[in-house]
Amino acid sequence: MVKVDESLTLRVANLARLELTPEEVQKFIPQLQQVLSYIEQLSEVNVSGVEPLTHPLTIETALRPDEVEVFAPDAQGHSKTLKDAPSVLNDGFKVPPII
Amino acid sequence: MSLEWETVIGLEVHAQLSTQSKIFCRCRARLETGHSVANEVANANTCPVCTGHPGTLPVLNEQVVAFAIKAGLALGCEIRKKSIFARKNYFYPDLPKGYQISQYDQPLCENGTLQIELASGEKKKINVQRIHLEEDAGKNVHMSGYSLVNLNRAGMPLVEIVSFPDMRTPEEAGAYLRALHAIVTYLDICDGNMQEGNFRCDANVSIRPMGSSTLGTRTEIKNVNSFRFVEKAIEYEVNRQIGVVQGGGKVIQETRLYDSAKNVTLSMRSKEDAHDYRYFPEPDLLPVSVDKAWIEKIKKTLPELPHEKRQRYISEYGLPALDALTLTASKPLAVFFEQSLATVKNPKLAAKTTANLITGEVTRLLHEENIEMSQSRLKPAHVADLVELLTQKVVSSTGAKQALLQAWKTGDSIQKIVEKEGLKQVSDLGALEPVLDEIIARHPAQVAEFKAGKEKVIGFLVGQAMKATGGKANPSLLQDLILKKIKS
Amino acid sequence: MPVFRTIRETHDAFDARKISPSELTKEYLDAIEKSDLNTFITVCKDRVMAQAQHADSIFLKHGKVPREQSPLFGIPLGIKDVLTLEGVRTTCASKILENYIPPYTATAVERLEKAGALSLGKLNMDEFAMGSSNENSAYGAVKHPTHYDRVPGGSSGASAAAVKAGLCVASLGTDTGGSVRLPASYCGLVGVKPTYGRISRYGLIAFASSLDQVGTLSNTVEDSALLLQTMSGHDPRDSTTAPAEKLNWAEQLRSLSKKDLNGLRIGVPKEYFGDGLQTEVASAVESTLKWCESKGAKRVEISLPHTRYSIATYYVVAVSEASSNLARFDGVRYGVRSKEAEEASDLATFYKKTRSLFGAEVKRRILLGTFALSSGYYEAYYLRACQVRRLIRKDFEDAFKKVDIIAAPVAPTTAFKRGEKVSDPLQMYLMDICTIPASLAGLPALSLPCGKDKEDLSIGLHLIGPHFGEGRLLETAHFIEKGRGHES
Repeated sequence: MVKVDESLTLRVANLARLELTPEEVQKFIPQLQQVLSYIEQLSEVNVSGVEPLTHPLTIETALRPDEVEVFAPDAQGHSKTLKDAPSVLNDGFKVPPII
Repeated sequence: MSLEWETVIGLEVHAQLSTQSKIFCRCRARLETGHSVANEVANANTCPVCTGHPGTLPVLNEQVVAFAIKAGLALGCEIRKKSIFARKNYFYPDLPKGYQISQYDQPLCENGTLQIELASGEKKKINVQRIHLEEDAGKNVHMSGYSLVNLNRAGMPLVEIVSFPDMRTPEEAGAYLRALHAIVTYLDICDGNMQEGNFRCDANVSIRPMGSSTLGTRTEIKNVNSFRFVEKAIEYEVNRQIGVVQGGGKVIQETRLYDSAKNVTLSMRSKEDAHDYRYFPEPDLLPVSVDKAWIEKIKKTLPELPHEKRQRYISEYGLPALDALTLTASKPLAVFFEQSLATVKNPKLAAKTTANLITGEVTRLLHEENIEMSQSRLKPAHVADLVELLTQKVVSSTGAKQALLQAWKTGDSIQKIVEKEGLKQVSDLGALEPVLDEIIARHPAQVAEFKAGKEKVIGFLVGQAMKATGGKANPSLLQDLILKKIKS
Repeated sequence: MPVFRTIRETHDAFDARKISPSELTKEYLDAIEKSDLNTFITVCKDRVMAQAQHADSIFLKHGKVPREQSPLFGIPLGIKDVLTLEGVRTTCASKILENYIPPYTATAVERLEKAGALSLGKLNMDEFAMGSSNENSAYGAVKHPTHYDRVPGGSSGASAAAVKAGLCVASLGTDTGGSVRLPASYCGLVGVKPTYGRISRYGLIAFASSLDQVGTLSNTVEDSALLLQTMSGHDPRDSTTAPAEKLNWAEQLRSLSKKDLNGLRIGVPKEYFGDGLQTEVASAVESTLKWCESKGAKRVEISLPHTRYSIATYYVVAVSEASSNLARFDGVRYGVRSKEAEEASDLATFYKKTRSLFGAEVKRRILLGTFALSSGYYEAYYLRACQVRRLIRKDFEDAFKKVDIIAAPVAPTTAFKRGEKVSDPLQMYLMDICTIPASLAGLPALSLPCGKDKEDLSIGLHLIGPHFGEGRLLETAHFIEKGRGHES
């Protein structure tokens, strides 16, 4: 039975790049604890020899032929994927320094 | 390197597959002719799928699977009937979806081997753990105060080839990488261009007391882009680790970068703890099914592999191992060699001469101008013609070199060049005899020296004869004749 | 204003020249503007009027509605704001996508528009489809169409409310754990979730990839059938779609002439009729079943033993996939980048400041999912949940050996009061107990109005079919609808 405390909550939040205010942390801890305790009942199920199901469908792999389709640039020659980007410089997506 | 320590090296190679389109979308995977990665406009080769727009989905490129199977077969791997994709979750600006689609459990190929040959002639088998498919991330460019993300490379198809930690010296690592590089280029599944990052190596290095069977803590040296640098980086790292341990410390598991200018490895460790990638099966892609029929079809397309060619060159043409190794290091070179030999009258006889030309002058010219075989004006016919002329002693080796250079520059036929430059050797005995008689008559002192046992003096006499014939005589023929005359 | 409840009524009105497509569209736009239900986040005024005017000109050319070529000619629809429409803002009811303009249109929507449908606008929803009451929207909660103090259900709450309130003829929603069927039940509409893989998810902004499906909300079964068949079929841009099939469900329903249910075996799972069931819900479902029996159906008591583990399974699997799917919302390539994010001096802060724009429920589910996949917990949570999922699917597979269709309630209660459960996440999750199992198994399922409680709130009958068994499912629902009426 996992115990949800501040340390676990903050660690998971960091992994998910979520910033929680102290109020949120306090609000979430009992809620998450309640849900995880509810989920605990899965441990009563006998799953020995049961293969995990990740796709509800049983169909063949979808493969596509090796063909090119260009996602056309706009009239000025810039990529449409840059359109409406929050911050663009020299055709690159601008972000804070990475190092 | 201290004798008490054993080095353990494992290598991970990421090879970008030379398919037409990316692995999960239909953006171009190859550059347009004449373009290079450096001058491609950033983000020009992207679409909503490879930039991770919401609601987009990956669709697997059939050719990517075929190429990976080809690699697996060439390395003698077991090809899995059903393999699955997995998400590797982490946050980084060049990773558009916040996860990379890769393979974790149940990769496409497993348990192969690659035989390597060292300079000493020693052969060793390196075991290959797995080959799996994955997509590449984009590139970050670091500026002052900000970074720019270019996603042209995001979604490029990669195979990751992971070896078992079977290598014990930097040389073995270098040999493994060269052999693997040759294979992927031979198979035509990867262009092997290391400058553009299409064949990248990460080295996992650890040390342990000689005789121990447990593995030491390893460090990972990432993204070294030449074979030589890999060997040097490993050498440095091993010494560094030995230094750490002998100084009473412990090797820290971390990622390191190689600085080729200073020949050192540097820690890349950031303040964050080790990534928890939270791998789970990719729900947007179904398992990849590979049946026997498909594998057989691909098997039939396997070309003669580098080591098979080497064997053939040695046994069929009697070429020395080193020549065979040099010729087969790159497929274009090997193909050029074979095509040159194809039109020669007596290939077995001409093989060494042909090999010499190619491993000598041709290779030198390629390096000098830093171009590929396909980009040069030289054709197999040029080499074939030259080889014929050399065999018949119509040209001297100096003359041949000259002719080759001209052919390289102009592309003109050998016949035309030999005529134009007047490169035909004089081998006509009738013309030579009087010249030689005159030389012998003019240099009685040297003749006497030779008769007295100073054999080297013959070089002087041959030199004089060459001068007298304007350099057009066949020097070995001259030497034979002079010897005959002196001895008689 | 003339409000048309069905596609056929609308087409008849066009043909009778009672109203033109553009006049009708204008009426709907006016009604939307006047409505205080808060159903539309974005109204595509110019775009839809242009579509409508184009329909006008086509009508003039043909002299009547070209029903064969254009089965959805001139029909104004609402589209849940989780499906992309090129050039039109798509928010998923989140602040993080407040300004997001997709560069492509979802396949499902594209197919409807190709068949003549008009897109009035983007419908409100629970943020990123996470919720059962449409109270989790960053653009305000949606009101129940007839009982203002109640919730319309979720996450496709507005999709239901808009149809019921006469703001569109029908609408698209999405169903991951019941998000089409639950609002349909609460609002008194037909709501259909097809078999997983029927309709392309390309353009459906992902919540849980192995569960999400586009669904329909309409006043009649026939309308849903027509919408579904128009959207269904293999899409090369979605690897999880089933192979194409020629579908004519709508025609089959229209030509349905049978007078009874011909021994249809209806399975009634005892696990769905437990203690928490509101008495009126139980009796409404019961009386419908009795009616079916009177029409020749055979009632079979069945057991789906793993039903009680469905919610736990769902809230591990769905949140795990969601935590990964939502990683792409990082402010780098699209969406909102807050001022604090822009001013961040390091990456971690940058991500966190942008992602703080998520609502509380979304944050909770991301935390749960990240936890369930993380190192040390993966086996006990994610892996185990996937195993239980297989057992849940097997329950259905075994049941469908004995029965043709399964009948149950859609929800344990009728629409609850706004604010009643919003501060108790687990209580909210428990509302999905009846709908989740069919989602986990990927089965087609629908909600059909079958009665009212004493507050005059609608009760939905849940019908579940075997994989790809929409034909019989829709036929049965249609038969009940025709024979019994809606009382909605």
